[in-house]
Amino acid sequence: MKQARRWLLLAAALVLLPQAAYAQQKKKPKGNTPAPAPVSADADADSTTPAPAATPPAAPEGGDQATPPATGEPGAGGEAAGADTGMDICQITPDAPQCQAAKEFNLGAEAKKTIRAEVYAVQQQYVLKGGRFEIQPFFAFTLNDQFVSHDAPGLALNYYLTQVLAVGVVGNWYDGLNSPSDFDFQNRRAAHIAIPLNDYQVSGDLNFTYVPMYGKFAGFGDFIFNYDGYILGGLGLIRTKPIPVIDPDNRLFNWNNLINFDVGIGLRIFFNRWLAAVFEVRDIMYFEKIESTSVGTGPDVPIGATGYSSNSPTNPATWYDSQTHFTNDIQMQVGLSVFLPTSFEYALPK
Amino acid sequence: MKLRFVKAALAACLAAAAMSSSRPARAQELQVTGPLKGAPAVRHLRLYRKGRFELAPTASFTLLDEYRRTLLVGGRATYYVTDWLGLGVWGAGGVWSETTTLTNEITSVAQPNVETAINVNHTGGCPGGNCSMPTAGAEPSTIGKSSSQSFANQTARLSWVVAPQATFIPFRGKLAIFNKIFVDTELSLAAGIAFVGIQERGYCGGGGQIPCYEPASFALASQTKFTWTFGVDLTFFPSNLVSFGIEYRALPFYWNPAGFDTRGGGPNGNYPDNQVNSNDDTFKFNQIVTLAVGFSFPTAPKLSE
Repeated sequence: MKQARRWLLLAAALVLLPQAAYAQQKKKPKGNTPAPAPVSADADADSTTPAPAATPPAAPEGGDQATPPATGEPGAGGEAAGADTGMDICQITPDAPQCQAAKEFNLGAEAKKTIRAEVYAVQQQYVLKGGRFEIQPFFAFTLNDQFVSHDAPGLALNYYLTQVLAVGVVGNWYDGLNSPSDFDFQNRRAAHIAIPLNDYQVSGDLNFTYVPMYGKFAGFGDFIFNYDGYILGGLGLIRTKPIPVIDPDNRLFNWNNLINFDVGIGLRIFFNRWLAAVFEVRDIMYFEKIESTSVGTGPDVPIGATGYSSNSPTNPATWYDSQTHFTNDIQMQVGLSVFLPTSFEYALPK
Repeated sequence: MKLRFVKAALAACLAAAAMSSSRPARAQELQVTGPLKGAPAVRHLRLYRKGRFELAPTASFTLLDEYRRTLLVGGRATYYVTDWLGLGVWGAGGVWSETTTLTNEITSVAQPNVETAINVNHTGGCPGGNCSMPTAGAEPSTIGKSSSQSFANQTARLSWVVAPQATFIPFRGKLAIFNKIFVDTELSLAAGIAFVGIQERGYCGGGGQIPCYEPASFALASQTKFTWTFGVDLTFFPSNLVSFGIEYRALPFYWNPAGFDTRGGGPNGNYPDNQVNSNDDTFKFNQIVTLAVGFSFPTAPKLSE
């Protein structure tokens, strides 16, 4: 009777054994499993970048697609299996990149390493900006001033406190590039109206930049480029002076320092992890001091001469309009963005 | 000092070149020879366009207008032969317009006189309608000041646009906003021809035409311009049926938005000739921003392999 029980227990154990084997969780290796080391961005495997080790293929572009069969995963056949079978792919195509890599790595040893084949819900961002400097040379074109353009080269320097927030300065140099337009001339001739015009010399702003959006595009189904969009805002100074058009014989203006506020929105298209093209629209807002459209009616004599009065056209106090005018200088900036240091490390593998 | 700056700039350029030259080897294209060789880059891609018909109501705003801004309301109908090519038409009508600050300034400030009488409407300034071509030296007071709306009324308007066009979609991707919202995004280009209906000051001053200083000469006349057009469109697909798009479009053509006599006489025709005609047209890029809400049929897109 006791023997019958033992046989029954043995039979039950034999029946249950394969089920348990199928369902059991993989044993975690004992000992100190190394935490994921920081991964160099250069070793990252983007869809168009070679994966040096047995990294799973990057998720497809365009998103929301089913993940391709993991035929490239280690241990699932494919390339890793080839390593155990004497590199037959490399015998056929010795020039293949993975065969080049095989010269540098011992694929057999690499394949035996324990890896954590995890799938990350969110992929790494292409560029990590936190803790990096951005140098952004650009050229700005006037968008909204039809009478005189204020094109200018400029430079922005930003430091990214986090991945999405930066603080920095931006400056434009306008002097010598202010250019009255043909449109201004045609209007003056046709309607005999004088629109007060102003030259700009230089502007500088302290800005905060926020990067709320990023993404990637697949171009022609062939290449991929990453981009991000940002907004910025801050305040600074702009130096302007009126161009004497109402009474150019008497009026000679000096530069005025005016406080400005600026807001902008921009798009960065990355060529690589440290170089990008930048397109930005920025509105520099300030209260402009413009030339008075009326001319003093007093004697037109130099200051101090006989007959000079406070209402003389030569009196500088009569040159400016009594009110300041809120002005939007909207400019389109085209430039480059250089991130330093040029390389960075991800905290986690992809 | 200057030499040092040049040297420093050259050194920086060399350093940048050296850094960039060492990078391509790391970024070279992967020549897949394993099991993934020949596999498509993307599987089960939603083909938002291929074989679908899109109807999109649109609202368009003109940009950087000199004398008058216009709001156009219309629609776009496109059939997409493939996921990257569509054929269609965009049409819109000007439903509202507003004068710019410059127009208001001219209206309120400009004094019609001997030089400006043919450029700025002097309605109300000719007692009894006895307008005659002012002679040089005439007092401006004999001509009068423009009435409050006179110049605004002579500025040109965009009436309608019809643009058969082809749409190319070379770029497809995703956009993440605040790391919370992920939306499929496409960047497309549209190009085609355009018929543009405008109203601008009628021709005057020529043989058989009324003199340009007559108040009646400032009346608007309809014209149709034929031109080309192109646009860049960013489209977001929050669902299979509905999409949202924002488009920048240019409608370049010659016209005379102010109704001024600016050219036709003197050397090279660069001076006024007391006539308003096609010589006075100037090239304008005519930029427009369009917002669109697209509805695609059939409502479910196909999937790639």
